[in-house]
Amino acid sequence: MEIKESYDLPLPIETVWQALNDEGFLKNSIPGCEKLERISPNELSAEVKLKIGPMSTRFKGKVNLSDLNPPNGYTISGSGTGGIAGAASGSAKVFLSKMEDGEGTILSYQVKAEVKGKIAQLGSRLIHSTAKKLAKKFFSNFVQELSK
Amino acid sequence: MYSTKIVKAENSSAAVQAIGSSKEGKILAGGMTLIPTLKQRLANPDCLIDISSCGLEGVEDKGSSVRIGAMTKHAAVAESSSVAKAIPALADLAGGIGDRQVRNRGTLGGSVANNDPAACYPSAVMALDGTVHTNKRDISADDFFKGMFETALEEDEVIESVSFKKPEKACYMKFPNPASRYAMVGVFVAKFSDGVRVAVTGAGEEGVFRHSDLESALSSNFSEEAVSGVEVSSDGLMSDIHASADYRANLIGEMTKRAVSS
Amino acid sequence: MSEGIGASVKRKEDKKFLTGKGKYTDDINRPGQVYAHFVRSDVAHANIKSINTKAASQAAGVVAVYIGEDVAADGIGGPICGWVVPNRDGSATHEPPHPLLAQGKVRFVGDAIAVVIAESVEQAKSASELVEVDYEELPAVANLETASSGAEIHEGMKENRYFDWELGDEAATDKALQSAAKVVKLSVRNNRLIPNAMEPRSALAEYDDLGGSYTLHTTSQNPHLARLILAAFMFQIPESKLRVIAPDVGGGFGSKIYVYIEEAVCIWSSKKINRPVKWTADRTQSFLTDAHGRDHINNVQLALDESNKIIGLRVDTVCNLGSYLSAFAVAVPTYLHGTLLSGLYDIPTIYTNVKGMATTTAPVDAYRGAGRPEATYLLERTMDAAAREVGMDQAEFRRLNFIPKDAFPYQTAVALQYDTGDYEPNLDKAMEMIDYKSFEARRSEASKRGKYRGIGVSSYIEACGLAPSAVAGALGGRVGGWESASVRVDPTGTVTVFSGAHSHGQGHATTFSQIVSERLGIPNANVEFVHGDSDKTPFGMGTYGSRSLAVGGVALSKALDKVVEKSKKIAAHLMEASAEDVEFKDGKFTVAGTDKETAFGDVALAAYVPHNYPLETLEPGLEETAFYDPMNFTYPAGTHIAEVEVDPATGVVEIVDWAACDDFGNLINPMIVEGQVHGGIAQGIGQALLENAHYDENGQLLTASYMDYCMPRADDLPSFKVECTNTPCTHNDLGVKGCGEAGAIASPPALINAIINALSPLGVSDMSMPATPETVWRAIQNAQARAAE
Ligand SMILES: Cc1cc2nc3c(=O)[nH]c(=O)nc-3n(C[C@H](O)[C@H](O)[C@H](O)COP(=O)(O)OP(=O)(O)OC[C@H]3O[C@@H](n4cnc5c(N)ncnc54)[C@H](O)[C@@H]3O)c2cc1C
Repeated sequence: MEIKESYDLPLPIETVWQALNDEGFLKNSIPGCEKLERISPNELSAEVKLKIGPMSTRFKGKVNLSDLNPPNGYTISGSGTGGIAGAASGSAKVFLSKMEDGEGTILSYQVKAEVKGKIAQLGSRLIHSTAKKLAKKFFSNFVQELSK
Repeated sequence: MYSTKIVKAENSSAAVQAIGSSKEGKILAGGMTLIPTLKQRLANPDCLIDISSCGLEGVEDKGSSVRIGAMTKHAAVAESSSVAKAIPALADLAGGIGDRQVRNRGTLGGSVANNDPAACYPSAVMALDGTVHTNKRDISADDFFKGMFETALEEDEVIESVSFKKPEKACYMKFPNPASRYAMVGVFVAKFSDGVRVAVTGAGEEGVFRHSDLESALSSNFSEEAVSGVEVSSDGLMSDIHASADYRANLIGEMTKRAVSS
Repeated sequence: MSEGIGASVKRKEDKKFLTGKGKYTDDINRPGQVYAHFVRSDVAHANIKSINTKAASQAAGVVAVYIGEDVAADGIGGPICGWVVPNRDGSATHEPPHPLLAQGKVRFVGDAIAVVIAESVEQAKSASELVEVDYEELPAVANLETASSGAEIHEGMKENRYFDWELGDEAATDKALQSAAKVVKLSVRNNRLIPNAMEPRSALAEYDDLGGSYTLHTTSQNPHLARLILAAFMFQIPESKLRVIAPDVGGGFGSKIYVYIEEAVCIWSSKKINRPVKWTADRTQSFLTDAHGRDHINNVQLALDESNKIIGLRVDTVCNLGSYLSAFAVAVPTYLHGTLLSGLYDIPTIYTNVKGMATTTAPVDAYRGAGRPEATYLLERTMDAAAREVGMDQAEFRRLNFIPKDAFPYQTAVALQYDTGDYEPNLDKAMEMIDYKSFEARRSEASKRGKYRGIGVSSYIEACGLAPSAVAGALGGRVGGWESASVRVDPTGTVTVFSGAHSHGQGHATTFSQIVSERLGIPNANVEFVHGDSDKTPFGMGTYGSRSLAVGGVALSKALDKVVEKSKKIAAHLMEASAEDVEFKDGKFTVAGTDKETAFGDVALAAYVPHNYPLETLEPGLEETAFYDPMNFTYPAGTHIAEVEVDPATGVVEIVDWAACDDFGNLINPMIVEGQVHGGIAQGIGQALLENAHYDENGQLLTASYMDYCMPRADDLPSFKVECTNTPCTHNDLGVKGCGEAGAIASPPALINAIINALSPLGVSDMSMPATPETVWRAIQNAQARAAE
């Protein structure tokens, strides 16, 4: 499944790009992120607590930054296992471009998500909406963090 | 399921206290949603707070509204003569939830607190301009539902009851998911003297929502033709293996027509 | 005799089941019992880089944790294939190994990787969470259409193909297609189903270290077969060292025919830890690991001459057999499918090619009807399309092509020889039951209400009573097709029947008693039925393929023949007459032309208290066993007609009427037959409208609970009109044919044809299964868009 969305940010592209590479920003943006540590320049280890309705599961995994094309974008991907619940992975291609006024930045993204195991078996009706919601939350958190 | 502790609260403040003193306590109402989740080991609360003895059951006619206790079972709402008299559509909705076993355990509060995107009750709360009464405050329906499975409830907040305004006329039309029999699309239409409210469940990616185009069309002309004049968009609607967003959009129009003409 | 053959007596077993007193495998507990829980793959296809079981082994209550290497070290083999077919090029079916626990690789979501055995189920589950599996993921092969170009699933298996089989005369058939006045082409998909027996699979294994023997309680439709496979092929122990008991079993529908890895692991580990080991699937595991059913794509070409008579049929099939070859997976799409392609039509030449494919999904095997629903579906959909294309009434087009009544025995172009049949009366009766001739009036009345009304016909035949051993052997079977029964007459004349067949809902205790009651003239209540225990009953092949009565019932009849024959000799002695002059009727022996008589009970007593008995020529006692190998299949046939109304606004299909007229030969208990037909139709309606096993492109099963897998419910079904005609089977003593699968075979095409018929005024000519509201709604939308162009 693919999900696309875009935001207009009143900030220069370099600022946005820097934030996209800052683990502090990322940690505050990833919904439910409890831990995010850089283990190599483009790899971070993560712990995320996901609550969907009555379900509540902790996912442990990695966040990778790839296809880096400063300051125009990259791909951020994450995958984690939630024990009995199964596994989830997702990636977002993030595109940054200057707004016509030259001041602001347009951030757009394309998200792909996959789930495995019990969450796929029992929650199929929710997969798409949840992925969309989490992606939206990530970027809206990110935008909010930026505007602080 | 993982082993856990159950405490029985005597009243809602005791329940709130028990939540506060647990690490990840959960309120247990009818258990129709919570227990299957626990059995699948998809949650691991250290404590379950049983609120069945908190005195939160019952139906009260308040004149312009009906107030129903959070622990009132679906079956009790379906069979209540005061609900049948004041808001028959609500009794109807409750009687169409799940199966007999579910209706004899599941509660209004549990359904509203859970805010499953396919649940029936949230649409009634929305369309009947309801108010959710908690141990702390009163929350209007429009402020209560915050996207699928999300509500305005705080960690230490318990729903005590829900009030529904009496409409001139109302109807809930549910197109059940053939497998789960939850709503694939459910439309609650309520006509008040000052306008029509239309709440849609089962369809929105963000859970229950009010359909403003349908509301304004029906507010000026309460008829099937008015519904036909509205192009229901599939934007923001759910798509899953059971139904695409387009099909859900079609069902919203169709269920609304049926609700209006019933 | 009111309780004998042909009486609709109430089922003996129902009181027990309806009051919750059944005793199922999971209800049985043994001292010192521990519980197994399987660690299963979350991914569809991967190499296993490592498995770490250390933390799990040390967890609370854990007795043992085993992985594939442990099984391999003990030399325990995996489940075997009970059927193979030759490929077109003469080579053999590819039979890849199916290890009990994964060895280096997982091939579907649910594949077992490790087993954790603990003092309680919850402890076993908790410890399982601590088993760490490191995967190297491989591309899933979840799509049947592209399976042949997918990643290699089994080492050395070309194009993920288990077999490539053919039947019939290709040259003659292609010639018929070329010379035809009309060729009707159709591509259909038979959707994948999950069996959903009410009782999930379960096993309890116990090892007796004194005798060196095992006892396995398990959910099996055929405990003797399970014992043979487990003992002789997997464990290589003497069969006598393994007792297999299938106690009450809550439904099977085929899914409990096979030996699964779980029961083998329980047996194996019960010896390793010397404690009884129990495992019971939860519903999710059932969805993931019970053998699924159907999943075919069929390309059909039907050749017609100028007079609309069929002159040839070609069917090219690819079918999905999943990650491992289950016991009868090969048989289902070949000898239970290819051989049925003539239906009840006179077709001079038929050719079929079937490719059995591997995918990274659960294994697929027999499910109620097994191959015959697929054959009937493609054929009856094609008959319908053909009738529409040539502008004939759907019923009359079928009638024109039926094998005529005087053509029996009829040799089909696909190996089978139908012994008897008369198809028009079923069609006529079903048409009368549903008032076919007034249908157009009902259609126009419905259209005034804004509904599209349609009527659909399905005429089917099935081959039941599996199976003549020689035929099965010639077609690739590795097992016999006979059945057994023993009749033990007690000294007072009551009777116990020991059957090799197995009842898991069918009602054998009742129908088999009725046969005894009829033949021996004793009340039904005086007959006990024993089944499902390899230590108690004679070797039997079990229950599947509508065989219990047509093969097991006939074995019982033959054992009763022996009882009667011996009884006559005893009676002759008692009455001082010659055995040839003794007649037996209604439980009494008489001597022709005299008033001498003696009761069956007296004869039984004499056999066990042989004070006045011809001991020099006759053994005492009265207990006889018979084994019966059928000469041919039996061929139940019939016509089902469905009538539907479609709501164009939502696409919802309402079944408004259903008429079924079946020829099952003689009926032992018409009420039970009707129940079987109802259940079969319900399952067929499930397939046609509701059920679908949905794997996503990564091989994840998205329908693994009742939230998403849609089973038919009572309110989805109309009230069925069910009638029977009777042309008795010519080659078995009871003249019976079998009725267990007919409903599931006949109903899907009747329903889909009815929906197409309803929408044909819009120009709709195709409909896929399941015809969900959205599928139907889309077909209407597309047709309307086409019309608007
Ligand atoms: C087979 C089946 C079919 C169903 N079909 C339908 C259907 O068609 N339509 C439909 O709408 N629903 C359906 N349901 C759901 C049913 O209505 C449940 O009863 C409901 O979702 C949850 O209510 P409960 O009382 O069982 O809550 P529980 O399962 O006990 O709790 C649910 C959640 O709400 C919280 N909670 C409960 N009460 C309160 C409270 N007073 N204050 C704060 N938090 C609280 C709990 O902590 C938990 O997180 C179905 C359920 C099943 C099992």
